[in-house]
Amino acid sequence: MMTVQTLNQRLIELRDVKKIYSTAAGDFVALKGVNLQIGAGEFLGVVGKSGAGKSTLLNMITGVDRLTRGEVIVNNGEAVSIHAMAEDEISRWRGRNLGVIFQSFKLLPMLTLVENITLSMDLCGNFSPKRSRQRALELLRLVEIEEHADKLPALISGGQQQRVAIARALANDPPILVADEPTGSLDSVTADHIFDLFQRLVMEQGKTIVMVTHDQSLAARFSRTLSIIDGEVGEFPPQTDVKSEDEAVAPPKWRFPWRRRK
Amino acid sequence: MKPRWRKIFHDLIDNKARTLLVVFSIAVGVFSIGVIAGSYQYISNDMSASYAMNRPANVELRTTNFDDSVLSSIRNRRNVADAEARRVFNMRVRTPGSDRWTTLDMVAFESFEDNSINLLVPVAGKAIPAKREVLLEKSALRDLAVDVGGLLEFELPDGSTKIMPVVGFVQDTAAGAGDFLASPSGYITLDTLPYLAQPKLYNRMFVTVAGDGDDPSYIREVGAAVKDSMEKSDVIALRSRIAETHRHPLADIVNAVLGILLALGILIVFLSSSLISNTLSALLNQHLRHIGVIKLIGGQRRQVFLMYFALIMAFGVLALLIAVPFGGIGAYQLSLFIADKLDFTLLGYRLLPLPFFIQIAVGLLVPLISGLAPVVAGSRVTVLRALSGDVADDGKPVSSAGEKRLSWFDWIQVKATRVLAARGLHVPRPFVISLRNTFRRKSRLALTLFTLTMGGAIFIAVFNVRVTLHDYIGRIENYFRADVTLDFDQAYRIQEIERVLKKVDGVTQVEGWQFMGGELMDANGNVVENIALLAPPSNSELVQPILVDGRWLRSDDIRKMTVSEGLRKSFPNLQAGDFVNMRVNGRNEIWQIVGIFKFVDQEGMIGYAPFEYISKINRQANRAFSYRVVTERHDRPYQDAKAEELDKYMRDRGFKVRIAQAGSASLDTAVESLDILVTFLLIMAILTAIVGAMGLTGTMGMNVLERTREIGITRAIGADDRAVMRTVIAEGVVIGLISFGLAVILSIPFTYLLSMIVSVAIFQTPISVVFTYLGYAIWLALVLTLSTVASIVPARNAARMTIREVLAYE
Repeated sequence: MMTVQTLNQRLIELRDVKKIYSTAAGDFVALKGVNLQIGAGEFLGVVGKSGAGKSTLLNMITGVDRLTRGEVIVNNGEAVSIHAMAEDEISRWRGRNLGVIFQSFKLLPMLTLVENITLSMDLCGNFSPKRSRQRALELLRLVEIEEHADKLPALISGGQQQRVAIARALANDPPILVADEPTGSLDSVTADHIFDLFQRLVMEQGKTIVMVTHDQSLAARFSRTLSIIDGEVGEFPPQTDVKSEDEAVAPPKWRFPWRRRK
Repeated sequence: MKPRWRKIFHDLIDNKARTLLVVFSIAVGVFSIGVIAGSYQYISNDMSASYAMNRPANVELRTTNFDDSVLSSIRNRRNVADAEARRVFNMRVRTPGSDRWTTLDMVAFESFEDNSINLLVPVAGKAIPAKREVLLEKSALRDLAVDVGGLLEFELPDGSTKIMPVVGFVQDTAAGAGDFLASPSGYITLDTLPYLAQPKLYNRMFVTVAGDGDDPSYIREVGAAVKDSMEKSDVIALRSRIAETHRHPLADIVNAVLGILLALGILIVFLSSSLISNTLSALLNQHLRHIGVIKLIGGQRRQVFLMYFALIMAFGVLALLIAVPFGGIGAYQLSLFIADKLDFTLLGYRLLPLPFFIQIAVGLLVPLISGLAPVVAGSRVTVLRALSGDVADDGKPVSSAGEKRLSWFDWIQVKATRVLAARGLHVPRPFVISLRNTFRRKSRLALTLFTLTMGGAIFIAVFNVRVTLHDYIGRIENYFRADVTLDFDQAYRIQEIERVLKKVDGVTQVEGWQFMGGELMDANGNVVENIALLAPPSNSELVQPILVDGRWLRSDDIRKMTVSEGLRKSFPNLQAGDFVNMRVNGRNEIWQIVGIFKFVDQEGMIGYAPFEYISKINRQANRAFSYRVVTERHDRPYQDAKAEELDKYMRDRGFKVRIAQAGSASLDTAVESLDILVTFLLIMAILTAIVGAMGLTGTMGMNVLERTREIGITRAIGADDRAVMRTVIAEGVVIGLISFGLAVILSIPFTYLLSMIVSVAIFQTPISVVFTYLGYAIWLALVLTLSTVASIVPARNAARMTIREVLAYE
């Protein structure tokens, strides 16, 4: 595992990250030398249209896909250059340091909700089997579906499945959560609940969340929002946008909707 | 249970059809190997053990008559552990009122109580007959419908008959040993001999050696000494046979046959392993998303590998639970069948450690080895590929620029479709889809084709081997071209017999033959092989030999003979022109071998020498004991009827007929025993066909499952249930037809190989191969049926799915 000595408060740093795909039509540049720093405790939103390079950006951070050029460094006490690690090392590192959440939940259909969560702890070996179950139940309680703990994923709704996916991402208590369109396949009310949950995790547990979405209306709810257009990451709203410059550079308001609803 | 093992447990039980397919694929191989390895051990062990338990004679001498004083002198000889004398003679026998006569070898015992060599094993009724009572060997039941207490009518040489009750059945393991074609035996006491007009004298000596009863050269030495001793008492040994105590005379042949079956068993394991590999590849493909998720949440390659390794082991254990008990039962049943046919007893059903461990090893190792590649590939897959599912690649070649190109096969199909369309011939689109689908998963297709092709090739080859064996037997018939064989108890003048027989309607030709026995010796003067010399007239057309070396007989041949190729087993470099030492009528002579011919050798060898010479040394010029009769028609029923008619006709005229039988009667028995072998081969062929069919079913199931989304799309754009089913079934049939074409080609070398192995095992000589359309026709019908049936279930499943279900499938 490569350790990088020079890194300060930034938890995640992307240095000149470039990703090129070879296709039938020729080379396609998905990321054009992205430079990005993400601080600890940030709730970073990356907004972009379909094909803009959102998922590719996340895959670079999670190590799911390999970059063509550049470097991704994560400093969770010890700075690590992700892409310098072998595939198996990344898996181990990811299991302990990073939770990933997808639009399509990706729960294992043959395992109950609690087993889906304990599987992650089982694979990483951070907790004893007894403690794993306790922790899984605690996490299910956190995401408010503890009563369904022993059901199979097929027996609960999409929103509930996404809550389980979040609980699973938190299983090994990673400091970072990465979410790829987590609300994309949910109705607006459910999506709102999921978003609330993310905000709570940042506020109450100090998690760092990087979330990509195509839904620009969500931009205001992140602590920081970036846009991604044709593989280039920039400020939100993008400079080419029709919105006023003031509006574009103004930081989003930090709201706590669940409190407001109360 | 840890969640990862729970997942594997669910993988095992949730998709029952897939689990059953994998488990049965493994079980078929394990079962086959269990049956064959078990039978091999049962038979190789019990055949010799049960043979040895009945204290087989190491030396058996057929002699002229002798009495108790000779027996006593042999018993007192050094190196002789024990000796027993018996009288053996042929009699015709029938159940009273029946028209059908059967020939029995009647064996008169000096004492049943003191029987210590070639022991008789009681099967039913009494074990010791009283005076004028008879015991029957149980194999006699095949020819005689008689129970314990029933009566049998015995025909004496003068034509009169005597009746004796059957008081029991026994098994004589030595009687049938070494000769598939031996007559069944009847056992009587010496006191009964006068009743059957036989002298109270012996003509067989049975000796067990003191010392190593499994050393052939030692046994030969003792045998030669016994023979010398008897000849000093003016008893001539006409024929001798030696046998090892712990070696059943048929052990070589049976082991060779079991060896062939073992090879087929291994092949089935091999085929089932390709089936397992296919199924596990598909399973891993279906599980790629799971693997992706596992790796995403921290799972490492080793963990993924161990999980699926455990799954494979579980498949293996389940297969063993099914296959080991059934394999054990199958092995015992097969051994019982063979034991019954070869007249020996098994030592009982038991767990055989070696086959048991072989089965365990096959059941665990074969799936592990065949599953290793897919599991390693699955555990190595990157998270991105696993999650995106793009591993379900169609295997299309990618150019250096990363562009996917059409494979040459797809290109041909596209071209062919266009050319046909340009001529107004439109291939139905669903069929085009079937055709293209067939070649999408090439490695899967290759494994399926391999399994199905091997099954087909073996199936076809077995039919060809059957016809080859029958053809060979048919050609052997050229040595038995007479329609009726008439043997008399005394020599008659040939002209007289010819004159009398030609008065019978339908008789066209009569030939008198002589016989002579000889013992071939090695350089040290030890007897190596018995030979029966048949002596037809040198110009006889009733023998049309298949010569492999040298020439046939001439009328002026003196001390010259032709011998069967089987003799090369004892004299490996034997060639026409060689000289051999032969003991004839108690004299040592040097004979020249002028020709070598092919024949079915059972007990002892046969040779031919000209009537002209043999009749002289037998001092029976123009006379013969044995006659060959040619009739107008040559079919078996006519021959049988004519044999019976001639028998009665000659007896009525005062001739002492010993046996009258159809010319090819003994050959039919040989064909029957070959059919048993062919049946075994066919069973193995059917097992391979079953593995092939399972392979195809699995492949079609996997193909359909992987194309669920595509099927949904075709249904969404208007395909009805029938169209979906047609597409899937056509794909199965295309695979079946391709495998048939390949099987036709592969069956040719298989036929040659199998024919050679079988013929060398049975006849000690390779034989010419004959092909039959039958195997091809049956396999074509079978493969079309199998491929249709194998596709129907997946096709029905595909057709039943609603568009919404299909398109939502992930």
